[in-house]
Formats: sequence, structure tokens, C-alpha cells
Amino acid sequence: MIRYILRRLLWVVFLLFAVSLITFIIFYLLPSADPAALRAGRQPSPSLVETIRQQLGLDQPWYVQYGRYMKNLIFHFDFGFSYQNGVPVRQLIFSRLPASISLAAGAAVLWLVVGISVGIIAAIRPRTKLDRASMGLALVGISAPVYWLGLVALYLFSADIGLFPILPGANSYVPLSEDPFAWFTSLIMPWFVLAISFAAFYSRLLRGNLTEVLSEDYIRTARAKGLSERRVVFRHGLRSAITPIVTIFGLDLGILLGGAILTETVFNIPGIGRLSYSSIVRSDLPVIQGTVLLGAFFIVFANLIVDIVYAYLDPRVRYE
Amino acid sequence: MSPIRCCSAALLALVASLTVVACGSSGGDSTAPAKVGAVPVTQSLTGKTGGALTVLASADVDYIDPGAAYYQFTFMVTSATQRSLYSFGPDDAIDPVPDLATKAAEVSADGKTVTVEIKPNIKFSPPVNRVVTSADVKYAIERGFLPTVANGYAGAYFGDITGVKAFEDSQAKDISGIETPNDTTIIFNLDRGSGGVVAGALALPLSAPVPQEYAAKFDAKNPSTYGVNQVATGPYMVANDSKGALTGYEPGKKIDLVRNPNWDRATDFRKAYLDTVNIEEGNDDTTVASRQILQGTAQINGDFGPPPPVLKQIVAKTPDQLALTPSGGIRYVSLNTSMKPFDNLNVRKAVLAAFDREAMRATRGGPLLGPIANHFLPPEIGGFEEAGGLTGTGVDFLKYPEGNMALAKDYMKKGGFPSGMYTGGEDLLMVGTSGGAAQKSAELAAAQFEKLGFKPKLRLVTVDSMYTKFCNTPKANVIICPNVGWLKDFSDPQTLLDPTFNGKNIVPVNNSNWPLLNDAGVNAAMDKAELVVGTSARNKAWADIDRQITALAPAVPWIWDDSPNIRSKDVAGVINKFNGNWDLSFTSLK
Repeated sequence: MIRYILRRLLWVVFLLFAVSLITFIIFYLLPSADPAALRAGRQPSPSLVETIRQQLGLDQPWYVQYGRYMKNLIFHFDFGFSYQNGVPVRQLIFSRLPASISLAAGAAVLWLVVGISVGIIAAIRPRTKLDRASMGLALVGISAPVYWLGLVALYLFSADIGLFPILPGANSYVPLSEDPFAWFTSLIMPWFVLAISFAAFYSRLLRGNLTEVLSEDYIRTARAKGLSERRVVFRHGLRSAITPIVTIFGLDLGILLGGAILTETVFNIPGIGRLSYSSIVRSDLPVIQGTVLLGAFFIVFANLIVDIVYAYLDPRVRYE
Repeated sequence: MSPIRCCSAALLALVASLTVVACGSSGGDSTAPAKVGAVPVTQSLTGKTGGALTVLASADVDYIDPGAAYYQFTFMVTSATQRSLYSFGPDDAIDPVPDLATKAAEVSADGKTVTVEIKPNIKFSPPVNRVVTSADVKYAIERGFLPTVANGYAGAYFGDITGVKAFEDSQAKDISGIETPNDTTIIFNLDRGSGGVVAGALALPLSAPVPQEYAAKFDAKNPSTYGVNQVATGPYMVANDSKGALTGYEPGKKIDLVRNPNWDRATDFRKAYLDTVNIEEGNDDTTVASRQILQGTAQINGDFGPPPPVLKQIVAKTPDQLALTPSGGIRYVSLNTSMKPFDNLNVRKAVLAAFDREAMRATRGGPLLGPIANHFLPPEIGGFEEAGGLTGTGVDFLKYPEGNMALAKDYMKKGGFPSGMYTGGEDLLMVGTSGGAAQKSAELAAAQFEKLGFKPKLRLVTVDSMYTKFCNTPKANVIICPNVGWLKDFSDPQTLLDPTFNGKNIVPVNNSNWPLLNDAGVNAAMDKAELVVGTSARNKAWADIDRQITALAPAVPWIWDDSPNIRSKDVAGVINKFNGNWDLSFTSLK
């Protein structure tokens, strides 16, 4: 197992290199704005634009620029400066990371609790009204776009513009270190909005898996041996049925840690997602690179954790 | 009906109704009276001292460094924190008042010398804390030419100062043409007689003083970090620590302004009623942000206007929370005059004649958002009235705001198309901005060309790509740019016409002469007008040029924007008519 983990960690490094290289190449191949022209303002002289291009190192071939970027990153943990406002990218990213982590982690807890609970209940009460209602609602939850859900939630429940003003609305996010209670209450609506579609999907997935597992022979055997239904479902059935959930949970959480763009936008949460979007729109390559690398890191690392957890959940899985 | 279908139907009905709540109606023409929300000629400038104001903005300032700032929203901040030599009071969008200066700039008869006296007792904010001298103004302008600062208008307006080239080429340590014979006098010596424009440009934040002994170390970094360590001379400053590093600025998140303890009220025309101003950025959903302002959670808008559906509601229900002011800008659809088919004057006239500019204006919200543009100088700019004012210069192809197909076809026939329709058949590359009202405008513009038989190939990209990769790059060979426009830098008409229609300003990168107009007569007239001294003479000269340009039909002018600004009910808002947004130095809480 240790060797497996080490091999996977090396693979993480290789993957991050590949991601950074692909991002760099895409930036140059696809039409995007000219950062030097953007920086130069509205009526620059051609010589000023060229000077800025040299200052930013944009006059060099792309592979030279890439090499310099990676050298600074590896040896100095320096992500460069934003072309847009000259602020270090590392500062931009790490100042926004807590907000994204708060949003993703809280939503993850919520969707796991709700999704798994609803999935189990629906599976052990198949074809009942409860099952049909919960799966019907799950379908709505999966279909509703996050942005729309967010707006609806604001117009219904936010303290300033809502019909039923019970929760803090957009713009109310404060860091945990500043005011834990305000932090918590400001994230309740975003957590629910973000968790709804995941909870819906997970509940449907778990219901399907668990229903199938509960019809297996070994479950019949367990019941025949006189085990309680609770033990049969949780100890035997759920353990098998939940492995796909673990897999996709890793992917989903990894993606969200890199920024839940739509939810952050609706609720004005200053996270990585919003930073990614604005940097893409402004062709701010250093920031794009930084956020993409961060997102890739979270995804591959989350997958590694998932694989390790998988081995503990399913004893049949062994890694060489 | 089974219970499931019943419940599903009810659910769908709920979803549908909530969709209407969430999405609102699509933008359309407003029929509200144009005077609703109009800012009075003279606003009440008295207010209650104290309190904190919250400003909502969708994005960040372009640069927090006042020496690099070149954006209306940023000017909202810099006008409160920096004292440039001249500044615009709330009620006069045309003539600035002396701010750091004691009186109007003295321009020599030949226009080659501009002399300014500055007030002797203005101090920098902590941690610099000393009196401002003329050398600080000199350094402020010089640093605009540093590549680490790269001010976007320094070259355009201050490039004629003697010694600029040597300084830019690092052959001189300073700009020799800026003299400071004593602590309160600054003299600009120019290579050409463009003193009239230089004097006007001294109202821009580049002329706000910067202490060299403090800023030089920041300016040596690439890019300069003076912006996040800046000091102030205005009534407010961005909150900082004892070493000067800004604590009140988080890019894309917030800007906190606090009172500048070294500001002397007796030396300033500003009132500065508020104790603090908190700008909260990142409000991408402007519908939500607008509602928060109207409900009172926040107080005023920063860099966005309320979207058309919200604007309709404001006009109908709470018009006193809306302020509309001419922005000093114009939007137009540019036609590439250097390439077929728009190298043909009559074909261009046909396009302008056919264009439904009322429909174009409706994409932005209708008559409330400004008058139909009939030439290229907007209201509140010198030369506007002289060029014909609201009614226009008198050309027939701009006489019909909803378009006149008969006239258009006549021009097409004169242009060599006997059927009155374009028969060229080739696709015309048209690059517009994706998303929002800009996309609607671009799509509608494409339909206008199709009316005359053109085949526009509309490509929608981000606004930055649209400018820097396509429309601002002549070799991209874009035939039509539907989402372009220009905003004044200061109230001299040269700032509107010279960058955008002067043939000598066609450059390979960041070109703003989108039609690529290179008319010898216009170019010669502009060369002459640049050197005219005296406001009324300059206004007349540039008004004549506006008429010339309009007659050449290089673009379809369609709106002179009014800026819509909103406030909550507890705010006594004062609009700065020059900048087209709230004036933080005069706005107060009720």
C-alpha cells in the first residue's frame, strides 16, 4: 500500500506538469485577449505596448515563458503576478481559498448526509409513496440549474430582498476567523443551493445500488441467519452499495474545492471559482495557470484519497 | 389524473412561477419619460456629517495605483483620495476647478508653455505626512511614462513635453521639459503648441502628486507596487498600516476608504461628509445588487447600472432613487473604411440610412438611457452644440432614427448597386461582445446589415478579446465592430475625435480608430485644431471636424449614453456630472 501511495504521488506531480503545459498551450493557440495591450490601456503608443510585452516576458517564445514560469513555481513557489492588477497570484489564490473550502466542505457534508439518508430510505421502501416522492424531488434537484436555484433562494429567503427574510443574502460572507457565527449563517443558503443537485444525484445513485445489493444472495443469507434488518442494511448492504458514491464524491469534492463558480457568483462569495472566471475573461494567464493548477491538484489528490478509502471499504481491492 | 401526475403538475407550476420571479422580463423599450431621474442642473451640496457608506461594485478598479488608473469607476475612488492639479466639481462637467492648483493654468500664446501654481499647504497622508511640492507633481507625471506603471494616456496627452522621449528611452533621469523653479510652481515646456490639451489633461489623476522618496522603491519593481502602498492628498485614503501598506484593499473583494487625517477642509472645495466608504466588489449579479441598494442593504452603485428590467421597476415605483446623467460617451457601429464594401462612401451612407437606431437603443433600455446619437460629440462636451446638438449636423442619412429603407436604397444605387441591395455575396467579418446587452446590440446590428443584403458573419467573444485581438488590431481585417464606443477623458472634444478618427492614430496594436478612417482633410483639420488655444475656439474647431467626420459616415452613431445610478433611500446622493457616477466627496447619509 505504501508503495502504491508513493507511486500515485509521483503520478500527481506528472499530472500537474501535464495540466500546466496543456493550459499554457491552449492559452496561446485559442483566441484570447492580448495581456500587453490590456495592460497598456486605451491609447498607448506601439512602443509602450512593446515595452510592456517585454516587461511581462510575453515577447519570448511560449516554451521559454513556460520554462521560466515552472522554474519560479518549483523553486520559489512563485505563481507570478496578475497581468490585470500586478498582485502576486499566490496572494490572490490563498486569500480566496478559505472561502472556497468553506463552501465546498459545508455543502459536501450536507449532500452526503441528505443524499445517503434519502437513498437508504428510498431503497428500503421501494415503490412506496415516500420512494416515489423522494426520487421525483431528486429529479427536480438534478435538473434545476444551480444559478437559478441560487437566485430563487435569494428572492425567497434572503434578509434584504427575500419574500421570507430569514437568512443573510448575497454579499454577507465573512471569513470564519472574523466572525464564526456570521460565517456560518452566511453560508447556510449557499450550502443548500450547492448541495441540492449533488444530494439528489447521490440519493438516486445509492437507491439504485442499494436496491440491487439488497437482492443479492448473501443478503438473503444474512437475513436467514437472523441478523437484524438494520445490521443487514448498514453492515452488509450499504458497505457494498456505497463504493461508487465514494468514487464520485472524491471527484465532486475535488472539483468544488477548485471553485464553485456559479454559487460563488450568485452569493458573491470571494472564492477561487470567481477568480478563475474573471481571469479567463481578462486573459490573465498567471492567474489562469494558478487556479487551474490548484483545481487539478485538488482533483488528483482527492482521487488518491478516494482510492485509499476504497481499499479499506472493499477488502477485495488490493494495490500492488 | 394519478397523484403523481397531479403533484408533478403542481410542482412544475411552482417552478414556472419561480422562474418568472428569478429571471425577470427580457429587456425592451422603455416608454418612461426621458426626464425621470435626470440630475438637476444644480444639486444640493449640503449634507449631514458622519456615517459609513457601502458601495456595491461588480468588478475591481482597473488599477489601484492612481498613476495607472484609466477607468470611470477608478476615477470615482481617485477623485476622493487624490488631489490632481484640477478636478471637476459635481455640477460642472465641462470646466474643472483648481484643486491642488491655485488658479487656472496659464497657457502661453504659442501654446508651448503651461504654468501652474500649486497651493503651499497640502499634505500627504500617513506615513509620508509632509507638505506637497511641485517636484511631487513632476514625479507623478514622470512615473506615468515608466514601463512599470505604464499609464495609458500619458503619451497621448503629455507626450509633447520636451524630454519625454529621452526619459522613456532611459537616456535621462527625469523629463527635462517639466521645470519646478520653486516648491509651488511647475512649468511644462512643450515641443509643439498643444498647451490647450495639456492644460485640460491636468484634470486627470496622473497629475496628483506622488512623493518620489517614498514611491521610487515601489516603482522600481515590475510591475510597480506603489498602488498597494499609496498615499493620499484628498479627504479620504485607502486604509493602510503604519508603513503605508494598504490594509483596505483586497483585489476583487473590497476597497475601504477612511478619512485622511492630514486633509485640510479649508483648502478644498470638497465637503467629505462621510466617515468611511466601503466598496464591496464581486457583485456579478447586478439584478441582486440593484435590489440590495433599493432595499437599503447597501447605499449606492459603483461600476454598474441597474439592468433594464430593474430600471423599469425603479422608474415605475421609486424614481427618486434613480439618477441619470450624460456619461460624455457615445456608442457606435464602426465600418472598416479601408476594405470592401465600406470603402465606398455611398454604401456607408446607405447603411447609416437603413439602420434602426431606436431598436439599437432599446437593447440597452430605451429612451431613458440616452438620446439617439446623430454625430460623434456627445452632450456635455465642448463643441456638441456647435456641431448641431441633439438634432445633428443635418445629413439626410442620419435624419431617421428608425431607418429609412428608401433613402438607403437610393444610396446603394449611387454606390453602384442598381437593385438597391448589396449583391457582393461575401461574408463580412463582424466581431462583437458575448453576453448581456452588448450581445443583443451586436445581434440586432447584424440584422440591420442583412436588410440591405449584406451577409455579416457575426462572431461573439469576450469584450477583452473583441478589442485586443480583433477590433483593435487592423490586420485582423474585421469589417464591422458593432460594440465599440468612446468616452471622454476630459471635456475637450479632441479627446473624443482624435483617437478615434485621426488617420495618424491608426496603430497596429490597441488601435482605437476602428473605422480606419484616414481622410486627408480630416487629418489636416485635426492637426490644426490640436494647436488651437482657448476653449471656445477649440470647441468651434473640433465641432467643424465632427461635421466633417459625420459626413464621411465611417460609423453608425446610435446612442449618447446616460449613466443610470441608484441609491438607497437613506442616502443624499450627489452625482459628479463629469464622471457620470456618485461623488463620494459630496454624498452623505440622511
